[in-house]
Amino acid sequence: MSQLLPYLFLGLLLSAVLAWWVWDAIVHRGSAEVLAPQQPRSSVRSVGSQRDLGERIFGPQDWDFVSRETTSEIQRIFQRERTVLAIAWLRRMRLQVSQVMRAHVEAVQQSEDLRLATEIRLALSYFMFLFLCNSLIGWVWFRGPVRTRKIVRQTLQWTVQLRGVFEQLMASVDPASCGVARTNFNRGTVRN
Amino acid sequence: MGLDWRNIDIEPAVTDLRNRTLSRLPGDFSRLVYLASSRDCNTGQYYHDGLTFHFSQNVASKAMGLCHREIFDRLVYASLEELIEELCNYISSTDERPEDFLKSWKHLGSYRVTIPSECDELEAEVFLSNVRLALAILQARQKPASQDEQSA
Repeated sequence: MSQLLPYLFLGLLLSAVLAWWVWDAIVHRGSAEVLAPQQPRSSVRSVGSQRDLGERIFGPQDWDFVSRETTSEIQRIFQRERTVLAIAWLRRMRLQVSQVMRAHVEAVQQSEDLRLATEIRLALSYFMFLFLCNSLIGWVWFRGPVRTRKIVRQTLQWTVQLRGVFEQLMASVDPASCGVARTNFNRGTVRN
Repeated sequence: MGLDWRNIDIEPAVTDLRNRTLSRLPGDFSRLVYLASSRDCNTGQYYHDGLTFHFSQNVASKAMGLCHREIFDRLVYASLEELIEELCNYISSTDERPEDFLKSWKHLGSYRVTIPSECDELEAEVFLSNVRLALAILQARQKPASQDEQSA
C-alpha cells in the first residue's frame, strides 16, 4: 500500500497543475492570445438573457416569498417545480457548450494552423465544464435548486468566460464555423 | 401578405395597439389573455378589426404578435409575488367567483394557450411552472376563507 503513495501523490500533483493551468486560462483571459474576445452585440445580449433565465430560476426572491408566505405543502411544490426547471436549464447549458465544442473540433480538423497547447487547454476546460455541469445536475436533483444556487451562479460565470475562450479560438481557426456555432449557441438549437 | 414582415414598419400599429387597446386592460395578465384569445390557434394569426382597418391584416397581426411576446417576457421575469398580483387583478376583472376560476384554470390548464408562438421553450416552462405555483398559492389562500364562511 505504501508503495502506491508516491504515484498517488504524483497523480494528485499533476491533476492540481492541470486544474490550475485551465483555471488560469479562463480567469486571466487577457494574458493569452485566445483570451480577449470582442463579442458582437447580439451574442452578448443572448448570453445576458441566458443568464437572466438562470437567475430567474435560481434567484432567491421567489423562495424568500414562498418560505415567508406559504405553507410547507406549497414550499414542497415550489422545490419540486424549480428542481425540474433548474435541471432543464443546466442540461441546456451543457448542450450549448457541447455544440460549440463540436463545431470547433470540426473546424480544427480542417485547419493547418493547429496550436496544440491551446487545444489541450480548451479540451481540459471542456471536460472540466462537463464534469462540473453533470455534478451540478446531480447536486440540484439531490439537494434542490435553493440550496445549490451559489455554486450554480459561480459555475454560470465560469461558463460565460469559457464560451468567450471557445469563440475566440474558433474565430482564429475558422471564422465561418465560429459564426455557425455562435448562432446555434444563441438560439439553443441542435446542429445536425 | 407576400411581403416579408421584417421589411414592414409595424411601429405605428404597435403604438396604436398599446395606447388604444392594451392600456385599458387591468394589468399584464389581462393583456396576455386578451392577445392570446385574439389569435387563431389554427394559423397563429392575430385578428383585430380596428387595427386592420387602420393598417392591414398583416401589420395588425405582426404588431399583436410583438406585443404578445413583450408582455409574456415581462411576466416570465416577474417575481412570483408580482405574478400572483397580476393574476389576482385578472381574476377580479372577470365576473367569475375566484374559487371557480382557480378550480377551472387548474383543472383545464387554460393558461397554456397564453404562450406566444415564437418563444423559448424553457421560458415557456418557467412561465407555466410559475402560473401553476401562483394558482396553488391562491387556492391555498382561498381555503381558510371558505372554511370561515362554512363555520359562520
